[in-house]
Amino acid sequence: MTGKDRPGRQFSMKPKSDLTDSELLCLMLSGDEDAFSLLYRRRQGGIYRFALQMSGSQQVAEDVTQDVFIFLIKDGHVFDATKGSLSSFLFGVARNYVLRRFRGDQSTVPFADDEDDQPFDPMCDEPGPLDDLTRAETIENVRRAVLSLPERYREVVVLCELQELSYVETAEILGCAIGTVRSRLHRARALLLAKLKPVPESVEQSSAGVETVRCFA
Amino acid sequence: MNCQKFESVAGEFARGQMMEAELRSEAIAHTSGCATCASLLRDEELLMRGLRSLAADMSSLEASSSSEARLLNAFRQRQVVVPLPVSRTNRAIWLTAVAALFLLVFSLVAFRWRDSSNETPAQQVTAPQPVQRDETVAVDKNPEPESQKEIGPGESHKRTPRRNLSNSLAFNARAKGSRNRNSNVAANHVSSEVATDFLPLGYMNATTFQDGGQIVRVELPRARLASFGIPVNMDRFNERVKADILVSVDGTARAIRFVQEKRLE
Ligand SMILES: [Zn+2]
Repeated sequence: MTGKDRPGRQFSMKPKSDLTDSELLCLMLSGDEDAFSLLYRRRQGGIYRFALQMSGSQQVAEDVTQDVFIFLIKDGHVFDATKGSLSSFLFGVARNYVLRRFRGDQSTVPFADDEDDQPFDPMCDEPGPLDDLTRAETIENVRRAVLSLPERYREVVVLCELQELSYVETAEILGCAIGTVRSRLHRARALLLAKLKPVPESVEQSSAGVETVRCFA
Repeated sequence: MNCQKFESVAGEFARGQMMEAELRSEAIAHTSGCATCASLLRDEELLMRGLRSLAADMSSLEASSSSEARLLNAFRQRQVVVPLPVSRTNRAIWLTAVAALFLLVFSLVAFRWRDSSNETPAQQVTAPQPVQRDETVAVDKNPEPESQKEIGPGESHKRTPRRNLSNSLAFNARAKGSRNRNSNVAANHVSSEVATDFLPLGYMNATTFQDGGQIVRVELPRARLASFGIPVNMDRFNERVKADILVSVDGTARAIRFVQEKRLE
């Protein structure tokens, strides 16, 4: 390939940091290491957190992030910009790797629980004075509640609520209709409420705000 | 708004998502009069805060720095093992080669089919001597270019398409060189046709005829004779005349000769 037809020529006028994900991918596939490095730094955090929020395991998150970008190195040409963003594409790949880990190693899912209606109260095991709940405890309770959701509900909560992606992006990643995302999220929130719902006597106190509710602090 | 409807929108309401103004005001109005739904909204809002706290708490987490180093190493190795531009170039070359081979085979098959669909007059015209007649028949029945490639330098006596064509052209060249009009017409005692010499097309000359090729019978407007310096009977101007096109192995039309039934002249 000569310099004239090198893909990078068409982007040479812009600094690489201003290039879109698709443009960086194009450069990366032509062998531009800087483009790959920039793309990795731009997207690895979201992928890592997605895998961590889905699995609850730092090791799984680390491995999945590696796998996603190795896939991008080897098979990045399969990305089709007409079908969605590169970010959605990477999340979709990450999701597949996470689910593969779930299938192959159940121990990586601390709260794998496919019973939709099974209540989960993280405070039942270690009850403590309501006022003693700290923000860190609240976060940990929510984290555990999310991890206890069945996969199909967990992933919409992680994508829509924790990654703050739109319904459209989530539907792209999951390969389903937007209405499916909406209904699953509705169901997931109901399950989370059921798992985190404070005991009746704390209901009144909960009205004071998130810091005073037993499960939400 | 009833409780069921409120329950269906409570989550999005708590998340502060875009809602129709009318729907939003209806939801607010409902919570003011329904303690159950007001409690549900509070729970949804608390859940939302909890989720956002969790997201914020994890926002700084990312893969280890060693991960990037490993991936960059993998990227560099991939560059060495699978140089993408080269593989694309190779693929293009192979595709071009396959396409060219396909076209060549297709052309030769088509030529052969056309010749066999006629009553092989070209064989008769180009066979003034027995040996040339046999060789010309060989041209028509062995169009495969691969057989030509098998001819070695010391095997020029073999009857192959390339050699056959060269011989028939040599015959015509000799006839033309004699300056004898009769010899300029390749006559055959057995044949009912007569033909002109092969006339070069384009910048081809007689030496390029030695490359061999195929003869294809066609019909052209008689007026085309004039463009080759052959007198045209204006009374038959609109008629068509038969011609043999000499097509080289690369598919280029190199020469033409015009053919007539002997009884017509
Ligand atoms: Zn109500």
